[in-house]
Amino acid sequence: MSGRWQGLWQKTLAAAALVALILAGAGAARAQDGGDTRPIGGFAAESGLGSQIEILVSPSAPMPDHLVEASVLEAAVTAGTLPPIGERLPAKPAVDDFIGPDLQPGRQGGTWTMLVGRPKDVRMGLVYGYARLVRYTQDLSFEADILDRVEIQDGRTFTMRLRPGHRWSDGEPFTADDFRYFWEDVVNNPKLYPAGPPRELLVDGEPPRFTVINDTTVRYSWSKPNPRLLPAIAGPLPLTLYRPAHYLRQFHERYADPETLLRMVNDRKQSSWAALHNRMDTATDFSNPAYPTLQPWRLVTAPPSIRFVAERNPYFHRIDINGRQLPYLDSLAIDVVDGKLISARTGTGDALLQARGLDFTDYTFLKAGAARSDYKVNLWRTGRGAHLALYPNLNARDDGWRSLFRDARFRRALSLGVDRHEIDAVLYYGLTIGGANTVLKESPLSRPAYRRAWAAHDVAQANKLLDEMGLDRRNDRGIRLMPDGRPLEMVVETAGESTEQMDILELVHDQWLDLGIKIYARPMQRDLFRNRIFAGDTLMSVWFGLEAGLATAETDPWELAPISQQSLQWPKWGQYYETNGKSGEAPDLPSAELLLSLYKDWTVASSSAARARIWREMLAINADQVYSISLVAGVLQPVVMNARLRNVPERGLFNWDPGSHFGLYRPERFWLDN
Amino acid sequence: MFVYIARRLLMMIPTLIMISILVFVIIQLPPGDYLTTQLAELAAQGEGASQAKIEFLRAEYGLDQPLYEQYLRWAGGLLVGDLGYSFEYQLPVSEVVGDRLWLTMLVSFATIIFSYAVAFPIGIYGAIRQYSPLDHGLTFIGFLGLATPNFLLALVLLYFSNIWFGTSIGGLMDPEYLDQPFSWGKFVSVMQHLWVPVVVIGTSNTAGMIRRLRANLLDELRKQYVTTAKAKGLHPARVLVKYPLRMALNPFIADLGNVLPQVVSGAAIVSVVLSLPTTGPMLLRALQTQDMYLAGSFLMFMALLTVVGVLVSDLLLAVLDPRIRLDGGRSR
Repeated sequence: MSGRWQGLWQKTLAAAALVALILAGAGAARAQDGGDTRPIGGFAAESGLGSQIEILVSPSAPMPDHLVEASVLEAAVTAGTLPPIGERLPAKPAVDDFIGPDLQPGRQGGTWTMLVGRPKDVRMGLVYGYARLVRYTQDLSFEADILDRVEIQDGRTFTMRLRPGHRWSDGEPFTADDFRYFWEDVVNNPKLYPAGPPRELLVDGEPPRFTVINDTTVRYSWSKPNPRLLPAIAGPLPLTLYRPAHYLRQFHERYADPETLLRMVNDRKQSSWAALHNRMDTATDFSNPAYPTLQPWRLVTAPPSIRFVAERNPYFHRIDINGRQLPYLDSLAIDVVDGKLISARTGTGDALLQARGLDFTDYTFLKAGAARSDYKVNLWRTGRGAHLALYPNLNARDDGWRSLFRDARFRRALSLGVDRHEIDAVLYYGLTIGGANTVLKESPLSRPAYRRAWAAHDVAQANKLLDEMGLDRRNDRGIRLMPDGRPLEMVVETAGESTEQMDILELVHDQWLDLGIKIYARPMQRDLFRNRIFAGDTLMSVWFGLEAGLATAETDPWELAPISQQSLQWPKWGQYYETNGKSGEAPDLPSAELLLSLYKDWTVASSSAARARIWREMLAINADQVYSISLVAGVLQPVVMNARLRNVPERGLFNWDPGSHFGLYRPERFWLDN
Repeated sequence: MFVYIARRLLMMIPTLIMISILVFVIIQLPPGDYLTTQLAELAAQGEGASQAKIEFLRAEYGLDQPLYEQYLRWAGGLLVGDLGYSFEYQLPVSEVVGDRLWLTMLVSFATIIFSYAVAFPIGIYGAIRQYSPLDHGLTFIGFLGLATPNFLLALVLLYFSNIWFGTSIGGLMDPEYLDQPFSWGKFVSVMQHLWVPVVVIGTSNTAGMIRRLRANLLDELRKQYVTTAKAKGLHPARVLVKYPLRMALNPFIADLGNVLPQVVSGAAIVSVVLSLPTTGPMLLRALQTQDMYLAGSFLMFMALLTVVGVLVSDLLLAVLDPRIRLDGGRSR
């Protein structure tokens, strides 16, 4: 097993390295000479008139000789309410070639039952569906998907070509006009998008020049490269550059009949047409059954409900080599249950394929039920830089603590005081990897030094650092005293969603007592937890580590710089950046200011090599400054799947972005064997 | 009697107004509003949460207006049956609540009936055969029910009902019936699931009820008139039912006002654990995300239940006890 795993990674690395080469222009000529247009995951490159052109294509096997109608749709086709399959597919469908170990074309039928913890999570249907304009391949490069082809010139002009004859799930044509509607009538309408176009569409504040070339071709161009566009449109909750214009027009002031529109606004108790339009425009929500979609499954249950059903999209653009339309599974059934019940219900075989809501701590329980309920439990790698990390709040309101947290020596001492080996042995059967919160070794950007930085368990050195800082006075219980005389006792807040966090904090409590620091763990509700951090009330919090554990040079390095309120170590600095200085606080640590300027450099860097160099520099600063203290990394994710389910890899990567959880493995080709 | 009822009905109006103000204030007490939680979501979706967008949404939801105006809008809506708008679900509250109210009622009434059906015979038996081995045994079980945390009992029962009967865990019916119209199979499925929450929620009520009935009845049974009736040769069962039991019922009926909301709200935690499609989990979530109109409407519903419950118990008491009926309206 591990051999195959390693093999996959070697391939990934090789492919990523090749991609980097091609992007740098070095491999361009070779690719052209070979005449092979899809050497690696559909990536092709050719050199143009002194400029650099990348072409993303959708890999496609030859068209099968005949098409097979899905049995659940036969009745509708016979009755004439649905056109036959040949008329529903685009002129050039994506023909799945099933190249890969253990992949085989299957048959249609069955329901993917899954469990989610809250009504909002129904959008996992959209995440798992993973039909994107451009998507990630399993080696984390890009390929065209909904689009037939994308031509990228110098990283700043993106020409997108649609599949002629592609249709929305309601049978209406999907054309360049749907892109125009999004750009002109949604994003640039101040009533709908008062803040203007999304950040990913702005380069240094400059919006793209958008042109409709013909019915199936659109172009976005900037004066500088926009490295954020592809990751954004291939993400789990993607930036969708198109909207079903034929559907949304009825809610738009510019197109709708004023009286009908007013009636609809009042019927739905909305304050204005804009509110109604935003409500009905559920591109990233999966909450409106009337909303036409391009995803493999379309929602049919109207909220509120505790069971949402999505059925196969009869106009989906992918087929297999036997002429069967994908997805294989006829429907999704998403049950909303309490988060704490997910493992219990999965253990009774209530889910066909489930990972969300399951922790490594559930592994033994899930294994125990496997034989009785006829499922398999596999362990997948997670892609986070650390499974859990401690975040000292550099923007804490308490003056004494804030100045301690801003002293790098203090953060380093805390990190040196954590015994990661003990945590691993006690809670994870020795299956995790230790080290700091940084990119995983599978990332082309990783260096062993980043992971080793300040991550050894060295109480003596930690105590020396603390003494050096002048924290050498202790009270009668052996707790160090702060300069203002208060004992070093702090509350560590957690979102209280798993007992795992509390168990780890219990261990950290004892480990830090050796440094003369005492902590108290306090679980709370997630929304409250975040609000307290944003307000500076929280001293230290526990949260997941780096999302971009598998970063490449093209991944947005936002987590490494103070640019988002969501970064728990510097929420106010992040807010300052997000609001252009209207609220929050300006960063006032030299290292943070440096990170910020590096981040800005990255967003306009013209070459992949330059982006990689900036990434490395940011990683090095983060490693040295220890803004977050990793507790445990490389925890495995249990994935429970029905024993009859095919085409789901035994070993996979379970990651949100990039990866979209199961999305990376193309759930539309999962099928049920008898 | 008529004056008494009329007075009681009129009193309900200022009570409900007071409650509505309290409810609104309490929901607004935590810092921030629905948008602060919503913003995290927006940011996670990659939409830059700029200040302009926040202001825009705040105006859209009417959160920029002063508190009293928000209150008046909501309360005014309640008067004409408009429960307001749920931010979380982006739907009118009445649509969000929908079936849940009926399912809540179903669970609640089944629970009340279960509690009474269990508590009465045991309570009466405990009183007539005080300190008999069976009395001790039943008392023990009753206390167990009172002492075991409801959610724990719920999880244990869920596990065993799944292992033994193959009932799916959580919910009020098997998942495949959820999106189907009503049918015999669905009814059977509901019945298979209903007993778990009913037993779990019911046990804690039952124990208290048993103790109260037993104690009251014991008091009555020792009174002179019981001895007299028995001496005159009246059948023991008739003696019991005709007077002492009737007297012992008084506190029960006075309690009715509390039972209704208690069953509805007390079941929230159990409903969350069991994933019941009732109002409890929705209320909890609405309070957490500060979805204020949804939470407010639920709380008002509970307040209304209490007020109506107290009214019903007062009326029943008046029927049962002539002393209340005759001078209740005058002497207060």
